Amino acid sequence: MDKSIIYKFILLFFLLFLVAIIGQNMGFNPQQTLAAIIFSASVFATLLFWDFRLAIAFLGVAILLLTKVIDLENLIKFSSLEVILFLIGMMVLVGLLKEIGFFAWLVTLILRIKKLTAKKFVLAIGILSALLACAVDEVTSIIFMVAAILEICDYFEVDPSPYVIISVLATNIGSTGTVLGNPIGILIASKSGLTFEDFIFKAFPLMLICLFTVLSLVIFWFRKAHKELDKKMQELMDNELFIKLISVPPEKQLQFGLGIFGLTILGIALHHRLELLFKLETNTLLLSIPLISAGLVMIWRHNKARKYIEKDVEWWTLIFFLLLFANAGTLKYTAVTDIIAKGVLNLVKQSHSLLLGLILWISAFGSSILDNVVLVVAFIPIIQSFRDLGLGLQPLWWALLFGGCIGGNITLIGSTANIVALGILEKERKIKINFWRWLAIGFTTSVISISIIWLALLFLPIYR
Amino acid sequence: MKIKEILTEEVKSISSQLTVKEALKVLLEKKISGLPVVDESGKLVGMFTEKEILTAILPGYLGKVGRFIYEENPKSIKNKFKELENLKVKDLMHKDIVTVDEDTAVCEVGHLMLTQKLRVIPILDKDKKLVGIVTREDIIKSYAQEAGWINP
Repeated sequence: MDKSIIYKFILLFFLLFLVAIIGQNMGFNPQQTLAAIIFSASVFATLLFWDFRLAIAFLGVAILLLTKVIDLENLIKFSSLEVILFLIGMMVLVGLLKEIGFFAWLVTLILRIKKLTAKKFVLAIGILSALLACAVDEVTSIIFMVAAILEICDYFEVDPSPYVIISVLATNIGSTGTVLGNPIGILIASKSGLTFEDFIFKAFPLMLICLFTVLSLVIFWFRKAHKELDKKMQELMDNELFIKLISVPPEKQLQFGLGIFGLTILGIALHHRLELLFKLETNTLLLSIPLISAGLVMIWRHNKARKYIEKDVEWWTLIFFLLLFANAGTLKYTAVTDIIAKGVLNLVKQSHSLLLGLILWISAFGSSILDNVVLVVAFIPIIQSFRDLGLGLQPLWWALLFGGCIGGNITLIGSTANIVALGILEKERKIKINFWRWLAIGFTTSVISISIIWLALLFLPIYR
Repeated sequence: MKIKEILTEEVKSISSQLTVKEALKVLLEKKISGLPVVDESGKLVGMFTEKEILTAILPGYLGKVGRFIYEENPKSIKNKFKELENLKVKDLMHKDIVTVDEDTAVCEVGHLMLTQKLRVIPILDKDKKLVGIVTREDIIKSYAQEAGWINP
């Protein structure tokens, strides 16, 4: 075995030992200590060795069952199958949209902008990245945006890296706007009882404010690059040729696929009202609409149904999520999170505003190095424990959502979108973005966005 | 029938130190989709095929973006083709090669081509030395001859 892997395993055992000692000091019983160790192992695995994380999660869940820390019934309950099914349904739908050319069609909208200037281009890619990340998952949306940016920058013979950075920043901000943008959105919605409408009326406007603040900043930040692009645009702009860069044949498939997607979004948007009308449990429709759409897609294109399930669904990630949810549920089940919640409350001296700030900034900085799903999964049972202590939870859920998504902008490994986008840039154009170059813009924009959110959550009555 | 009875011996290999430009010329002249690559000591070190060239010049995200239709060739292809000028065969070849022994049955080699999506397979003798290559055409031809569809 590779030596570095052995060192990493030694480090893992050392860290887990540390968790055990901290647990002992906090007064954990043996079962609670074991639950904390198993959950931490999954978290550290995402940090230290990505390829082993699923193996570690498998072993962890087995140990929890064999040692009777949790029983089978509760394990299944905590694994949040509803969230996993929702994500599967959306992935099938996105697989269809890719295939019928939906994203290429969106990209062609940029090419049709009349009298394109660098500023208009920044606004177009910023807004499109953010809106796309609201409607489908951020990884799908960033791949299309980066592909489009590379093609357009090639056409004008300019360095694409500022525009790739802008698109990534906008994508992570945009993914807070609805429950669809990031897995943590649907996770928070399903655990907090917040509806799609809550997201549209409360998260979406705040997302737009952050987006436009950050876009004005990057217009200034990359002014030299924009000047160069403006010059090239004047030289080489020939709309006829430019529009031909990427095209989509107007086929019936695209229209039909768009119809299904539109109805899905509409259904999800109205889920709460429909649930009230049909006297369904909260979020029943939110979670089943993607399944209905995916089912319809697989009837319509039955020849490819197997391909959608096998190729378009990210099983590696989803199975890890499922086991991680179960691990985190065990923390709640064994009351570890209650102890942590009490400890945190003592730390902030029962102050709600301090608690809000703490959750917002910890989730932001935490998700700049950790997978934000891992972080949010750890936070959810702790926040649920605050309810038992008699606190209003809504602002805390929003803090978790915004911190977890926007924190991804701080470092270049902060979110999957960053890693995917920079990977393409490096492979296709041999441009490697330096850690510090990213941190300068990423940290600045994130601190500004998070501060805006902090103020809004503290002072605007709708978030209370 | 054994594969050694039908393999092509005349086109053997190219050097890993050859430039990509020269190597591509050889492929086009010989009208063959790929060639084995050997190092200075004559050891088989890789395969250089049309696929490597296409992968190097086309945008890598094409597979991920589904239908992304170009009406014109993107400029990147021209630029990437230019970059190939400075590369040698060893920079581009794939090293994870499938080889077969000269005593392998023809049908087995055909099956390997289908399952591993290969067009050319290098053939080795008992001492693991390269003795020739086999293409899909060679295999189909041998069966067509056996069936009497074409003359040997």
